[in-house]
Amino acid sequence: MNQIFVIAWREVTRLRKRFGGGASPLAVLLLLAMLGLSAFSLRNSVALGNGLYRVGVSGDVPVIQDSRFAVVEVDAQQGQALLDSHAIDVWIDGARVIERADDKSQFAVRALKQYLEKQELVRVGNSFTGEQAFPLRVGINYLNGDQAAGQTVTKPEEVIIPSLTPPPAPFTQVLVALIYILPITFISIFFTSSFMDEKSNRRLTILLSAPITPFQIILGKMLPYAIFALFTTVLIAMITGGNVPLALAIFAPTTLFIFAIYLMVPLFYRTFKDTTFISMLVTTLTTAYLVFPAMFTNVNDLAYISPLTLAVKMYRAEPFGWREYLFPSLPMAAVFGFAMFAGTRMLNEEFLMGYKPITRKITDAIYLMMAHTRPSLAVTLWSLLVIPAVYMAQVMMLAFAANLPVRLILGATLVTSALIEEVVKTIGIVVLAEHRAVSSVRDILWLSFLSALGFLIGEKLLLLVSISMVSQARVSGALFGAGMLLLIPLAAHFVFTAAVTLLRVKLRFPYWLALGLGTLAHFFYNLTVMRGGL
Amino acid sequence: MIRPFLAVVKKELGSVIRDRTIVISILIQLFIASFSSGLLLGVLSLYDADTILQFSGEGIKIGIVGGAEHPLAGFMSERGLNVLPYATLAQAQAAFQAGDVLAIVDAPQDADNLTEIKLYLPESDTVSSLVRMVIQEPLKQYENALRAQKGAEVRYTRLKGKPSTSFEFVYSVLLPMLMFFPAFVAGSMSVDSLTEEVENNTLQTLLSAPLTINGMITAKIAAAVILSIVQCTAWLALLELNGIDIQHEGWILLLALIVAGLSSSSAILGAVLLKDRERSQFIYSLMLLAATALSTLANISPLTTLSRLAVGDTYTNGWAVIPFAAILGGLYWLLTKVSRRLMV
Repeated sequence: MNQIFVIAWREVTRLRKRFGGGASPLAVLLLLAMLGLSAFSLRNSVALGNGLYRVGVSGDVPVIQDSRFAVVEVDAQQGQALLDSHAIDVWIDGARVIERADDKSQFAVRALKQYLEKQELVRVGNSFTGEQAFPLRVGINYLNGDQAAGQTVTKPEEVIIPSLTPPPAPFTQVLVALIYILPITFISIFFTSSFMDEKSNRRLTILLSAPITPFQIILGKMLPYAIFALFTTVLIAMITGGNVPLALAIFAPTTLFIFAIYLMVPLFYRTFKDTTFISMLVTTLTTAYLVFPAMFTNVNDLAYISPLTLAVKMYRAEPFGWREYLFPSLPMAAVFGFAMFAGTRMLNEEFLMGYKPITRKITDAIYLMMAHTRPSLAVTLWSLLVIPAVYMAQVMMLAFAANLPVRLILGATLVTSALIEEVVKTIGIVVLAEHRAVSSVRDILWLSFLSALGFLIGEKLLLLVSISMVSQARVSGALFGAGMLLLIPLAAHFVFTAAVTLLRVKLRFPYWLALGLGTLAHFFYNLTVMRGGL
Repeated sequence: MIRPFLAVVKKELGSVIRDRTIVISILIQLFIASFSSGLLLGVLSLYDADTILQFSGEGIKIGIVGGAEHPLAGFMSERGLNVLPYATLAQAQAAFQAGDVLAIVDAPQDADNLTEIKLYLPESDTVSSLVRMVIQEPLKQYENALRAQKGAEVRYTRLKGKPSTSFEFVYSVLLPMLMFFPAFVAGSMSVDSLTEEVENNTLQTLLSAPLTINGMITAKIAAAVILSIVQCTAWLALLELNGIDIQHEGWILLLALIVAGLSSSSAILGAVLLKDRERSQFIYSLMLLAATALSTLANISPLTTLSRLAVGDTYTNGWAVIPFAAILGGLYWLLTKVSRRLMV
């Protein structure tokens, strides 16, 4: 433990030196000021369609203060002419709104409708009594559709005033929640940068020869940045009026997750340019992973795979339980644990300094992770432990596939998920075979079986966890009740894995070709299952 | 003078293409673009009442207790919902159990003070939030009708228009993102390229060629700008191919070029002063954040200018690009003044 603090302190000193005596607090202040400023300007211009519409006004019209509209004062006589010449998109003359029939004018009218509705509400609320201004109450009750006899009202009645009900889309809250992610990413880029720096000037090599473990080095180097990231989380929660302990609980696993991913970047890459681009890619992917599901808060339970959903709930003052909390947090913590393990295995001179193509580096890394245990155990554990990462990758693929034409979405998702699964199950065995740790057909078959088993256990475990966490237990009962059903997927997983590995190892097929064939078989299997064939 | 300059530009471009880093960058842009439009599509189909009604309005059956001539029933069917009247709540609930209706509105005849109606929704989150979304507008219309009865007249209640989200997204998010992201990458790339020369001590060698330090820096900026403008042109062409109408393409490309110049000049400025990658990248990101925040605050954001140029705003033309060109000129002048510090 002590060593970790020593490393952490060393990292702080390094940073202090780097950013030169007086500059360091200044830089921090500058950073915070920038963040504040950008958060502030974001708040004002958060609306889509900044400055897209020109609105002409004449007569008694509410003040239009919305970044989407540029307001032009017009004469009552000119209005129509300006509108016809497309100089303005819509003309408001007192209580009248005059529009053209073309798309742009119609879009402007819709945008205006949203804005004016709000303004009128404020005016009506201020100038009339409560009962006149808001004469309608809607009591919402939920009915249980299952029981034929006797209506059961399942939740207490919720009373709303229609015009004062916030829109269901959680855009604003998602954006606020995103403000937490930005500094975490920013800080972790620093962490990456520090690692790169020490790697290129070979200080890391010196550290490795000291009597401390790689684990202590990584944790020690990460500690100051992680603390700083948590500190910004507290700060943002305080500024935006969130619940500080809750925000910390929500974003601590996310912080670990982001750090875990950024730990991998300097381990694999050597030049600065690579690091910059890969960091950008990683930032984009993680942001997408976090934001995409959160947009579906309250519409779909799967939204809970992103911790931002929890933050959205926090800002909407809606409660959530332990299960909803653990659903996004556990996979993130698992990925962190896995990355730490991988990092400690990879942190050695030979791996860090080797100048090899990235695919070579990845296989080396996988070998390093597996080399210290018996192959049978290593392969099973590998297939089991990478499940959270597989699951995250598949979510990303889904987001990506959503752009394709509707007919292709399903196919593309099935193919990519089959590909990801086949890679994960076979790569360990192939790498071991390349390093001559396994060679006989019997061994390969046995390992393929174990890999399929590990994968299936992991997959079903995840499914069980997610279903029992989010939806009713009924579904999970149906999935796990029938024991026979599990044997078929196990057999299928085993056949595909064995086929790919044997093609690669014994018949010397190129890996991509073996993988392609396996993926194809897997895809058709999935298709048959979906069509109800099995 | 011009030959060595071109040689450096060529070397920079060559290294980018050889490293295949640009492939990653394009991949990122493609991902962001398709991801954000995927997000929009999903959000539109889930949260936008108009889109939902357009595709499944007839399928959303709502039972109403209180007579088919109740004003709310009128508003609902006008909106495209399938409204089924029932005489009593019990009958409506029986229909709900049988799956004939998704939800029930229990609307008594208008009361004197507060009108209270009851809405019965199924337990399933997905269905109930769907119903709440599509019923929101009729409820508001009914509320306005009640207000009018009580003398609280609300203006602008009959506005309709067309759903504008896609339009706003394309011109204010997608297009600026595709035009400016290459510029940010250009800046980042310039930092790496210059600091790598400093840290590997290759700068002196490079300067032994018949090239001034300003020439060398300009060559690096030029390479970054060329790279980003090529990407921008490709994106513009792709957008046009997808049937997105973009006005003033020339000015848009010029603006993108200026922004790429701005970001790589400021990135190089930071690198000249700090000389190492870690701090330069940090300062560069800070400058980007600051510039975004300031330009938004000062209301001369290139984002808005770009959107307005693209939709063909009457009041925005090529002159709107001038202020940015002026800023670029100033920044470049400053850069030539401090560039000698690299030599120390």
